[in-house]
Amino acid sequence: MTEKDVTMTVNGTERELSVEPRRLLVHAIREDLNLTGTHIGCDTGNCGACTVYKDGQAVKSCLQFAVQADGSEIRTVEGMEELPEAGMGESDLHPIQEGFKQMHGLQCGFCTPGMIMAGKALLEENDDPTDEEIRVNISGNLCRCTGYQNIVKSIQYASDVLNDREPPESPVEHEDASLETAADGGETVTDGGGPATDRSCSCDSGPDLTMDYPTGGEDR
Amino acid sequence: MKAAHFEHHEPSTVEEAVTLLADLDDPTILAGGQSLVPTMRFRLSQPDDVVDINGIDSLDYLREDGDYLRLGALVRHADVEGSALVDENYGSFADAAPLIGDPQIRNRGTVVGSVTQADPKGDWGSVLLAHGGEVVARGPDGERTIPADELFLFPYETDLRPAELVTELRVPVSGEAEGSSYHKLKRKVGDYAMAAVAARVALDGETIADAGVALTGVDITNIPVPDATDHLVGEVPSGELFKEAGELAAEAADPEGDEHGSAAYKENMVRVLTQRALADAVERARGEGPAGSYGTDQLTVGD
Repeated sequence: MTEKDVTMTVNGTERELSVEPRRLLVHAIREDLNLTGTHIGCDTGNCGACTVYKDGQAVKSCLQFAVQADGSEIRTVEGMEELPEAGMGESDLHPIQEGFKQMHGLQCGFCTPGMIMAGKALLEENDDPTDEEIRVNISGNLCRCTGYQNIVKSIQYASDVLNDREPPESPVEHEDASLETAADGGETVTDGGGPATDRSCSCDSGPDLTMDYPTGGEDR
Repeated sequence: MKAAHFEHHEPSTVEEAVTLLADLDDPTILAGGQSLVPTMRFRLSQPDDVVDINGIDSLDYLREDGDYLRLGALVRHADVEGSALVDENYGSFADAAPLIGDPQIRNRGTVVGSVTQADPKGDWGSVLLAHGGEVVARGPDGERTIPADELFLFPYETDLRPAELVTELRVPVSGEAEGSSYHKLKRKVGDYAMAAVAARVALDGETIADAGVALTGVDITNIPVPDATDHLVGEVPSGELFKEAGELAAEAADPEGDEHGSAAYKENMVRVLTQRALADAVERARGEGPAGSYGTDQLTVGD
């Protein structure tokens, strides 16, 4: 079958591709352009992990062919840091990205690129959405880890930044995290020398099976 | 899975599209593609030729014009959702649009594509039926209109001929004293209907001058309920009247039980949803202002 030439502007750069008509947009983005931040979760159009921002709208890139994107303007998660809003918060990240980091909006991270692009589409139309509006607007994106609470908070965080409001304090410590705080926000066990969360452990002594389960912080 | 190989055609006018449809061997029309693309990827559909109508700009309109509200073939669900005109006068359209799929799907999927796909669980077919609307099809022999109640034959089967392209869906303009609504029962956000009811009521003073009731997901196609219409016309709206119409709608329904609900349950839901839909339609017919300010908010997200 004949290939077709397609030109699209991806994250501000014009890209030219020659694709089979049957090539999905998500495959062109991931495999031809090497932008693997856009994920494929379900292959059926349900999960939203492949969501990109195309011509001013959130769309599922697994539900259209690359030839349909000829002449379009696409932004993927990789291009978020290049947007003018990036750096408005405390980091160089886009406020939505920073929100996901600060508010613990991800666990495994698989749905995150899609969530961020759905969040971008929402905030582009309405930079001060209610919780309910956020929930309706991420209803095309499935997350199997977080229960959505922190994803909603992450987008709310971005809305705060965009509106010059003080975003809420992060429940998680990041750069300044000492060994006293484990990655999941709990506390390391300092007595007994258990290997589970102590990163300096050489681990050749094996796990201490008599160790007590960590009780967690007081703020829980 | 990858879709099977196909040739991608991009007509820029309706004439070009119709010529392609007539000349090619069993082509498929691609509009929003939100159902077609997965179908092709699972190779349930393997067309050699795909006629992509997204470049036909003249099909992208939603307007009241003459005697009709007209939706061109490229009107997306999101266009209906965001239309002030629809919100003002066409409650059933305003109700149905945000209940379809999810935001990404609504940004791409088209109303006409959904109707012509003729999924018995599709929402727009019932809205079209309740309004006594029609579709306009262009083929090699010219243009013809197909009334909604002659369009749906079987699941995924319509009265359309192979080389015909539906260019427009239209419903009679809503008068001042007309109201409509769409009530949908679904298991979760974005799902197809387990059962849904579209209702339209036009008042003349205190009595019902015209009405339409149609059902989704409870027969092999979307179906109108002419018995309910006959029962409503000439009567004064009341809870008792809506209850009787609900009974007639439940009698007309012929649902299949499945893992989500028995046939009896779905019939009962038709009975209940018909009453709610009629109550909202009457409220909107009497009231002024956007549909959203009357009727039941089906979008509320619970925790």
